[in-house]
Amino acid sequence: MTSRAKFIANVTSSLGRTEVITPSSDDSTAAFDDAATARANAGRVMADTAARSVELTDTMAEAASTIGWKVHRVANPEDAADIVANICVQKGATSVLRSAHDILDEINVDAAVTSTGANLRVTEHSGDNNETKVNESKSAAFAADIGITGVDYAIAETGTVVLHPRSGLSRLVSLAPPTHIAVLRPGEILDSLDDLFAMERSDHMSGNLAGSMNLISGPSKTADIEGTTVTGIHGPLEVHLIILETD
Amino acid sequence: MKPLTSDFRAKAAETMVDEQVLQSLEHVYTGFFKGRLEAAGNTDNWEDLREKGKAIKDHTIAHLDYYLGQLADNVEKNGGSVFFAADAAEARKYVLDLAHARDIKTVIKSKSMVSEEMALAQALIDEGIEAVETDLGEYIIQLSGETPYHLIAPAVHKSRKEVAELLDDSYVDGNPVPDATELTMMAREKLRSVFERADMSVTGVNFAVAESGSIALVTNEGNGRMSTTVPRVHVAVMGMEKIVPSIQDLSTMLRILIRSATGQRISSYVTLVNGARKSDEEEGPEEFHLVILDNGRQKLLADEQMRESLNCIRCGACLNACPVYRKVGGHAYGWVYPGPIGAIVTPVLTGLKDASNLPAASSLCGACHDACPVKINIPRMLLELRYRTAEGKTDKQERTSSMRERTVWKAWRIGMMGRKRFDVGSRLSRLFLRPLAENGWLKKAPPPISGWTSTRDFPLISSSSLRSRLNKRSKKTKS
Repeated sequence: MTSRAKFIANVTSSLGRTEVITPSSDDSTAAFDDAATARANAGRVMADTAARSVELTDTMAEAASTIGWKVHRVANPEDAADIVANICVQKGATSVLRSAHDILDEINVDAAVTSTGANLRVTEHSGDNNETKVNESKSAAFAADIGITGVDYAIAETGTVVLHPRSGLSRLVSLAPPTHIAVLRPGEILDSLDDLFAMERSDHMSGNLAGSMNLISGPSKTADIEGTTVTGIHGPLEVHLIILETD
Repeated sequence: MKPLTSDFRAKAAETMVDEQVLQSLEHVYTGFFKGRLEAAGNTDNWEDLREKGKAIKDHTIAHLDYYLGQLADNVEKNGGSVFFAADAAEARKYVLDLAHARDIKTVIKSKSMVSEEMALAQALIDEGIEAVETDLGEYIIQLSGETPYHLIAPAVHKSRKEVAELLDDSYVDGNPVPDATELTMMAREKLRSVFERADMSVTGVNFAVAESGSIALVTNEGNGRMSTTVPRVHVAVMGMEKIVPSIQDLSTMLRILIRSATGQRISSYVTLVNGARKSDEEEGPEEFHLVILDNGRQKLLADEQMRESLNCIRCGACLNACPVYRKVGGHAYGWVYPGPIGAIVTPVLTGLKDASNLPAASSLCGACHDACPVKINIPRMLLELRYRTAEGKTDKQERTSSMRERTVWKAWRIGMMGRKRFDVGSRLSRLFLRPLAENGWLKKAPPPISGWTSTRDFPLISSSSLRSRLNKRSKKTKS
């Protein structure tokens, strides 16, 4: 008997049974909703997100600022670029890292960063992830002063930004540099954690679940010394949220 | 970690006269306890969420064999490896063998109570591997050679000065003590270089999702994200109970966990990983291993009176709410899990006879039950364990009640079961006790009642019962 079979057999017998019973349905969990239900739920979330985007943007901005995001609401791409440039200057940034999100091209972030004299690196996928490449991108992330990303979703309930790391979207851009700037559009803001996980479950049921996901809610925090909250223990000390509210 | 549960009284007594530690324990109350109340108060459907969380856990534990199989299948489908460990030693050996096989030099550890059960960090160090705790609280504890004081605030008992002595190389006694920000930045510097060179990480698991083989990690510091990003090997260790069936269950579980732990609406980071990095990613581990630990949990599962304790999501709310924990501190409980939840799982998990005094360290006020986000009835289980110890249910030899005590309680039971007997009994007790009383209070009494009166006064039994008084009153109102 393998250790797995033995382990699970023990659990079965501890439960007072002789064989594993497959649970059929239970109201407590969403595990028994089929793919069609999951897709329908996701569809509802998307419709709700679009219909309520004005209200959700306000809620998001408020929730985000209470947990430590510096929120910038801008009406056009040029203003977004100016804010990025200002942050670079303010931080005296010499090296900036950014992900390959489309929204960053749209606000022409590269020009904004380089105009301040900082070095810019884009985490584009090279199609080759050998060890040298991996180490190089790691060192670049740890050395960078600012990391800039778009988002996959935001969550108005909690002021959270959601990122699915993938090709061209490094996990470290939003983590290693002491300052993180996230740029998002109103249409990306979901109402709640329930909505996010409904979207994720739909992806899962259609076989498209991302390899990993990070929910980011404000700066890195700790209160491990005398209960005093301090930001920036391992992740960013300062986080900016730029909401691009164009029509 | 080697349990030392027999020292409860001695360690509790030490804490209760340590002004500095008592003051630190106030943070537990003012920060976490009040924060949780506020967070719960600001959540519209808080009671519904608790019910929902409880229902998810009840269902999962009732079908744990099925969900363990499903979880393992899906982790493997995602390209990860799963190891089922019957005890801490097996789990430890798996991780040590893996570290040697992959020629690992530096391991970063994220906070995990299960890895404390395994005493993993020290085991790695003993094998010549650098193993560094990366949660700031755990890091401080590692530097001082102690064990965690609290489930989510491991170093809550340490003063800033003590932390400075551990973290600040230039600090000498008498210097002004650096503030919390300065100390935190010193730790950031030190740990950054460790993150950069780490080639393996060990993390815990807040929730494992059976249907997708995902694991969820909740941190405020970001060490969980570093651990799932930088090293080439990621090992996650979990107790077998930490499963939820569906990804969608996470919204409920995260809401109740985080509010109950720190009073936040959400923590800075929640990370979901589904195995190693995908082929098109430049970062993330090349290998993912999930170690699922039993280590005595089968005993909790098989015991219908104790099964509910497996619903625990390790938020620490019962510690913060407990008037005993807040006075005796975390180390008195002698093993990995302190506080009310520790008092019920430690005796069963460790199987130690001398852990039987842990359930006695409670006033049964029920604050832990009120605080628990999944409504675990901790007081009921504390009573059950006390009963078993007193009656020698688990070990006749270890029965703590004496013949005399049992006889007294038997007589008491008979006396309480009938109205007449009760009235006669109370009149008789009053008759015997009255000569000893002053102004209606017993202040000094002979043994065995002296056990009570040495630390508090005992009210003399009243001359008339509540029932007779009520009868008189209702007659008066009627007439």
